[in-house]
Amino acid sequence: MSFVEFRNVKKTYKTGEVEINALRDVTFEIEKGEFCVIVGASGAGKTTILNILGGMDTLTSGIATLDGVDISQLSKKELTAYRRYDVGFVFQFYNLVQNLTALENVELAAQICKDPLDAATVLEQVGLGERMKNFPAQLSGGEQQRVAIARALAKNPKLLLCDEPTGALDYNTGKAVLKLLQDTCRKKGMTVVVITHNSALAAMADRIITVKSGTVESMKKNRDIVDVENIEW
Amino acid sequence: MKTASLREIKGSFGRYFAILAIIALGVGFFSGVRITTPAMIRNMDEFYSEHQLFDYRLVSTIGWDAKDVQMLAAQPDVRACEGAVSADLLCTEETGSKEFVIKAHSITENVNTLQLAQGRMPRKANECVLDAKMGGMKTNGSGSAAMIKVKSENDADTLDTLKYTEFTVVGYVHSPLYANFERGTTSLGTGSIDGFMYVMPEAFDTDYFTEIYVRFDQDEKIYSDEYKDYMEAHKKTWEMLARTRADARFDSIYGEAYIEISDGKDELEEKREDGQKELDDARNELDDARKKLSDADKELSDAKKEIDDGDEKLKDSKKKLSDAKKEIDENEKKLADAKDEFDRAKETLDNTKRTLDETGERLNEAQQQIESARAQIDAAEAELLARENEFAVSERELAAAEQAFIEQYGQYLDILDRLPEEQRAAIIAARSQLEQSRAQLEAARTQLSSARTQFDAQKSEFNSQKAQYEIGREQYENGVAQYNKGLEEYQSRLEEYEKGVKELEKGKAEYEKALKEYSKGEKELDKGKKEYEDGLKEYSDGRADYEDGLKEYNDGEREFDEKIADAERKISEAEDELEELKAPETFVLGRGTNIGYACFENDSQIVAQVARVFPVFFILVAALVCMTTMSRMVEEQRTQIGVFKALGYSNGTIMGKLMFYSGSAAVIGAVLGYAVGTVLFPRVIWMTYQLMYIPLEMKYLFDVQLAVISGAVSLICSLGTTWVSCRYELSETAASLMRPKAPKAGKRVLLERIPFIWKRMKFLHKVSIRNIFRYKKRLFMMIVGISGCTALLLTGFGLKDSVAGFADVQYGEIFVTDADMTFTPKNGTIPKKLKTRVEENTGEYKLIRECSFDLITEDATKAMTVIVPESFDGMGSFVKLRDAEGTPVSPPGAGQAIVSQSVEERYNVHKGDRIRLRDENMHEIEAVVSGVFENHVYNYVFLSAETFEEQSGDPPEFNGAFMNFEDGADGHKTAAVIAKSKSVKSITLYSELMDRMSKTMSSLNYVVLLVIVSAAGLAFIVLYNLTNINITERIREIATIKVLGFFRGETSAYVLRENIALTAFGTAVGLGLGILLHRFVMQQIVVDLVSFRVRILPLSYVYSIVLTFVFTFLVDLVMETKLERINMAESLKSVD
Repeated sequence: MSFVEFRNVKKTYKTGEVEINALRDVTFEIEKGEFCVIVGASGAGKTTILNILGGMDTLTSGIATLDGVDISQLSKKELTAYRRYDVGFVFQFYNLVQNLTALENVELAAQICKDPLDAATVLEQVGLGERMKNFPAQLSGGEQQRVAIARALAKNPKLLLCDEPTGALDYNTGKAVLKLLQDTCRKKGMTVVVITHNSALAAMADRIITVKSGTVESMKKNRDIVDVENIEW
Repeated sequence: MKTASLREIKGSFGRYFAILAIIALGVGFFSGVRITTPAMIRNMDEFYSEHQLFDYRLVSTIGWDAKDVQMLAAQPDVRACEGAVSADLLCTEETGSKEFVIKAHSITENVNTLQLAQGRMPRKANECVLDAKMGGMKTNGSGSAAMIKVKSENDADTLDTLKYTEFTVVGYVHSPLYANFERGTTSLGTGSIDGFMYVMPEAFDTDYFTEIYVRFDQDEKIYSDEYKDYMEAHKKTWEMLARTRADARFDSIYGEAYIEISDGKDELEEKREDGQKELDDARNELDDARKKLSDADKELSDAKKEIDDGDEKLKDSKKKLSDAKKEIDENEKKLADAKDEFDRAKETLDNTKRTLDETGERLNEAQQQIESARAQIDAAEAELLARENEFAVSERELAAAEQAFIEQYGQYLDILDRLPEEQRAAIIAARSQLEQSRAQLEAARTQLSSARTQFDAQKSEFNSQKAQYEIGREQYENGVAQYNKGLEEYQSRLEEYEKGVKELEKGKAEYEKALKEYSKGEKELDKGKKEYEDGLKEYSDGRADYEDGLKEYNDGEREFDEKIADAERKISEAEDELEELKAPETFVLGRGTNIGYACFENDSQIVAQVARVFPVFFILVAALVCMTTMSRMVEEQRTQIGVFKALGYSNGTIMGKLMFYSGSAAVIGAVLGYAVGTVLFPRVIWMTYQLMYIPLEMKYLFDVQLAVISGAVSLICSLGTTWVSCRYELSETAASLMRPKAPKAGKRVLLERIPFIWKRMKFLHKVSIRNIFRYKKRLFMMIVGISGCTALLLTGFGLKDSVAGFADVQYGEIFVTDADMTFTPKNGTIPKKLKTRVEENTGEYKLIRECSFDLITEDATKAMTVIVPESFDGMGSFVKLRDAEGTPVSPPGAGQAIVSQSVEERYNVHKGDRIRLRDENMHEIEAVVSGVFENHVYNYVFLSAETFEEQSGDPPEFNGAFMNFEDGADGHKTAAVIAKSKSVKSITLYSELMDRMSKTMSSLNYVVLLVIVSAAGLAFIVLYNLTNINITERIREIATIKVLGFFRGETSAYVLRENIALTAFGTAVGLGLGILLHRFVMQQIVVDLVSFRVRILPLSYVYSIVLTFVFTFLVDLVMETKLERINMAESLKSVD
């Protein structure tokens, strides 16, 4: 069994009379330690996949498992625990708490976990050792995203989920962030899932899942992984 | 655009409602409190105008007559003008067990009309309607009409003014003259009037009015400037009118009196002359008679003297006669006595003689015997001597024989044996013969000696008999001598007696003669006496006649003098009176002099005072709420505004949309608030005023001006804050608006600079603290809201503690006595019977003098209850004198007084000040205040009996007593037993008083409830709104932490912990504010005669804190569900 598995996952949103199938028959798997990119156009259903995988949303039918745990069967509270201990999130807009310093933002996540990493160490690892005591407003976008990554990593999760991590960043900064994610995956053996509309990023992934119109169009293993520096978009 | 606006409202109803609610609350409070005073005044105004309260009450020192009324009624602007009579009366109800002071008024038809509360108006002159306040105690259960009896103790002048002394109560009324509970003071009874009574004018027996009530043809609002101006305009004219009328009345009274007096004088002179002449004639007659009488008197007295002389002489002779008689009798008696004695002596003598004779005889016999005895003895002696001689011879012979014998015998002895036998026998025979002789001799000797002895004995006996005889003889001789002497004496006495008898006979004859003479004199005297008596009687008759005449004359003269003097005095009195008859004083009294009218103005202002503070506070909060809400809204709609702008909408249109949002909320809120506030507040507050004023229904008052102001203020509040919030955003370009606004930068707080504390804090607590201080405006608002809530609650509860508690304190802690009693004193103290009754039925009691004195200060004269206890010993069981802190106040010494707290507070009298007290007879007492004691009902001054006596000159007349019943005794029963005594005027049970007071004060619970509801409303709105803003603003953050895996409770705590912290802080601030606010409100609430105990009980603090937290938790509970509903997907959205 793979580390992450989706089997015939279906998600239906109901708004009044209308039923919208956000996802249907989604099936894929990701192995442990892989750098996976889920790519798809706007509205293809990649965010829904992220929501389900991240424990933020429930699925209508099908099976979704992480490390052998069936997410679809979890209660609300268990889902919260799942988010708390098993998943690390990196948002497009960083979602840092403005009123907390970089270090405190990391600590905010770390202090609720069972086996957290040292916040300061993680920040140093993401290259922000100097800026730990700065508030988000005092940091650039890239720096903020690094704080966000540090926050996710400090939880020592099983899975790192990144939603358009470069979406709000300029080209170079975006590259730097992607590099950090890739390094994390490589060096720490962390399973990283990046969701993006930018298919160019697929080149750096171990596994590429293409989503279209609410279903998985293709899933393939990348044979020739390109280094982040060499990706152009 | 419009639909967008409506949708916007629907979409953010919570926010919309927050604005609406806070505006409603603010407006409700503002308008409610504001409208209360005008509504109260309007209410009273309606009552006053319905019952045509007077504008002027005209009083003059000489009263008024019908002509005055007529003339005044004809003045311009006068709607009604009526004369009225009033009098203070001491009355009792039917059974006569209770005494009241009642002010009786004549019913006026068009001014001061009465409001019938029960029953009907009087139709007969002996019917009355009574003060509705007295309704409770007067209705007798049977439903038949009650009676009011006027006591005969009233002074004569007062009784004269009434035609009846009993009035049937046919109804109960409210009078516009008595709008509040005070009935005024009087010089009667306890000094305060218990109630009023209205009777028909015919019930009064006077030819003048005591006052004239004037109502002008106006209906200006009471207390209004218009009214004041109107009255000011009439003042001079009417003062003049009153004076003129009074002067005219005075002149006519004066003139009439003058004429009357001079007529009287003339008549007096005439009468005086006539009378004098009559008297003189009588005098002459009397003098003649007197002369005659005195002549007769002299004659009589001469005769009397003669008679007296005769009498005297007779008396002398009578005395002499009786003396003589007495002497004679005495002599006779003496003689008789002497005779008796003689006779007795004779007898004795005879007896003696007889005895003597006998004795002589016996003696003679004895002599003979003796003689014979002597002869015998002599014979015996001679015989004896002879025998003795014989014997002696015999003896001698014998001796010689013996001798011879012996001699022979000797001679013989030698020859004896030689002798022949015969001889010898002869000798022996001789010898025996001798011997025999010898024996014979011896026997003879013995015989002789015995004879001798016998003889001697006989001789001695004879001698003794002889001696005896000698003695007897001597005695006899003596007796004979004595007898002879006695006999001699007897003879001489007998002679004397004979002589006395002769003399006596002579004296008796003399006496008889004198007696005859005396009888003759006596008869003569009697005749003279009788003649004298006749003369005397004649004289007495004459004398009596004269006396009668004289008496008659004197009486006549006295009568004459008296009558003349009386007439003169009357005339001079009348003259004095006339002279003293000062130009009459007139008083034109406005409504301000009516207690009810004046008090109501003050009392109704209390709410207005309070109204000044509260609304400002509420409107401030409302403005703050609007401001934060709107600025948050503008922030949220920043992009949308940018879009509208980009689409070409003008600033005005966009602003209009926002304004519509806040404005419509404000308008709806204002309307709701106004409607609820103006209905609720006046009603609730009016309810509390019912304690002191006549029961009137609160009518709804719509005040356009207030409505407009409320609307305007709320609009300014909402629109102004909207404008302030969005003017900056609108000035930005569309492009910049569409860019997300940089989030507010995080900041370190001061606390972080104190690592000692900061490092010890939990991570999430640090986050909360930083969040609290992140938005200063919100922090401030939160504190204002929460502290306002706590302060309001504390004020509300404190109000209750202060007001409701005062009765408990007054009657549970200060006046701890079970009851007090007033009675009619006898000899300056409690009547004996009552005293026994009280002693039997109570555990202990203390006599007091209770009376009413006016306290004279620079700016006021105020009635005080002065209490003078018999002594201050043991006062603690009846009244605990202590100050506000609970320290006992020592009893006043000489020249000192202690006053109640209310006196200190209201009349600015402090410890060490000198106070002046004056009673209705203008007696003054001055004393130095030596202490101020806690007291909440009435104004009290305590004096010692010594001070009272020293200052007023008289010892205090005890007319009351505090009583403590025995433990477990039924107060009502005991009181009833004591009240049976006739001298008891009233008994007040303090437990009842306390109940009644507490009950009436409980209407304040409504006010407290109102305050609590307002406070709750405030807390909810502020908390809800701010928390709501807080959540919407931080929705991404919250979504993020949810994504990070915060459990439900952790998420709530993360957000709401701030609320709790702020609530705690706000509550602390609120407690401080509350204490100040409470103090302020209490200062505004001044109820006459009652002084509240400004205090907040510990439990009220607890309630206020707990309630504030409860409100917070309720808001938090609502908010938690809202937090729960936040979708985590929000975290993925971009910042807009």
